Amino acid sequence: MGLELIDVHKSYAMNTGRKQVLRGVNARFEKGERVGILGRNGTGKSTLVRILGGVEAPTRGAVKRSMSVSWPIGMAAGFQSSMTGQDNCRFIARIYGRPAQETVEFVESFAELGEYLRMPVGTYSSGMRSRLGLAISLAIEFDCFLVDEALAVGDTKFGRAFAARLERAGLIIVTHQPSLVRQLCTRAAVMDQGTLTFYEDLDEALATYNSL
Amino acid sequence: MSEAASRPPLIDCARAQLRVIGALVIREMHSRFGRRRFGYLALFAEPLLLAGTIALIHQTRSGGEGIRGNFEFFAIGYLLFFNFRGIVTRSSGTIPSSLQLLYHRQVTLPDVFYARHLIESVACTGVMAIFVFAAIAFGGDAPDSPMKMLAAMGLMFLLAQGFALMIGAATSEWHGIERGIHVLTYLSMPFSGLFFMVDWLPTWMQEIVIWVPMVHIFELLRDGQFGDRFRPVYDLSYVAAWILATHLIGLAGLRVARRRIGLE
Repeated sequence: MGLELIDVHKSYAMNTGRKQVLRGVNARFEKGERVGILGRNGTGKSTLVRILGGVEAPTRGAVKRSMSVSWPIGMAAGFQSSMTGQDNCRFIARIYGRPAQETVEFVESFAELGEYLRMPVGTYSSGMRSRLGLAISLAIEFDCFLVDEALAVGDTKFGRAFAARLERAGLIIVTHQPSLVRQLCTRAAVMDQGTLTFYEDLDEALATYNSL
Repeated sequence: MSEAASRPPLIDCARAQLRVIGALVIREMHSRFGRRRFGYLALFAEPLLLAGTIALIHQTRSGGEGIRGNFEFFAIGYLLFFNFRGIVTRSSGTIPSSLQLLYHRQVTLPDVFYARHLIESVACTGVMAIFVFAAIAFGGDAPDSPMKMLAAMGLMFLLAQGFALMIGAATSEWHGIERGIHVLTYLSMPFSGLFFMVDWLPTWMQEIVIWVPMVHIFELLRDGQFGDRFRPVYDLSYVAAWILATHLIGLAGLRVARRRIGLE
């Protein structure tokens, strides 16, 4: 059970030719593992998240997924901004085959959105959006949560409740904030120039990242 | 995708896809008609009003000589065309309006199209039923074969879907064609079989219009509506070939498009 990337390459067509974003990424994530992936802006972090989440296909290489992995949860991802938080919640519950009403009730009790749950997502602040996304994904109960940046949860009531839930779940978090990795992860990797290097030791990973 | 290691059985895939299409239908209804209780009525109001008015105009102008001036001829015929037009003209907006949904990997581009087309066709079929019953209530004849009429609506749905998939894929690569689509669907109206029966035309024109797939579907509809009262001309295998070809090109195009559209 896990998620495996085997020699994954990804390039995009640009006006000036093809831009290589990922150049041979190898990785294996076991079920229940909590892994942080650190990378500076523009090193291909978001591309990696989309490939892990199965939203984009690699140009070359293989992705083997044998556990349930969430969609890439981040600032904007996966919501229809003209629809209310509640309707987005129902839609996502339906496509994952979960009961819609229960999901809404869980999100209502967890995400601390109050009346905003019945407002269009377009009116949300970025913190509210990420709370909504995280709450819905927790209601659906994935083996592995895939989080892209923007975990503006901090030391709030929601942040603590979220961290408590995550203790029992797998997590892949892609970020440029070393503190988040130290707080939530047991293993870390550094993304640089389209390749991914794993470190068994968190401190070693953070030191490498800081020297980049 | 190279996920052969853990591919679920086919039946699970089908079930998951139906679940996604169902959810997309509900989403589309909400975003188009709002959440108020009678919002859904708007779905039926548009084809109902358009087809009704156009039929009335034609009836008063031609003064009612047999089938040509018949209310059912235009009202129900127009619904068939309305279904085609509704599906095809909306197709260019489908991909832009569903980009955010693609973050969920079980949502595929064709599913988004299918959901929209289902809504459109259900609305047109519903209004078609209303017109048929209304016509009978006001002293018209019952249709000769309702099944043939439903089959015509089904074929029009599939033909329009084939075109919509192709146009959707093409517009995601080349913006600007979408402006031409409205003009083309509008201009296709006189050639669609909406205003004539093949049998009424001179031979040289028959030989031309018979190449238009929509004409065959209209003939099937009229066969179901009026039975033996005139001679319909249609070849359903020709329509099936069009449906198959447009679907293949469209689905292939969407696969290419999916790889090329960037998510933020």
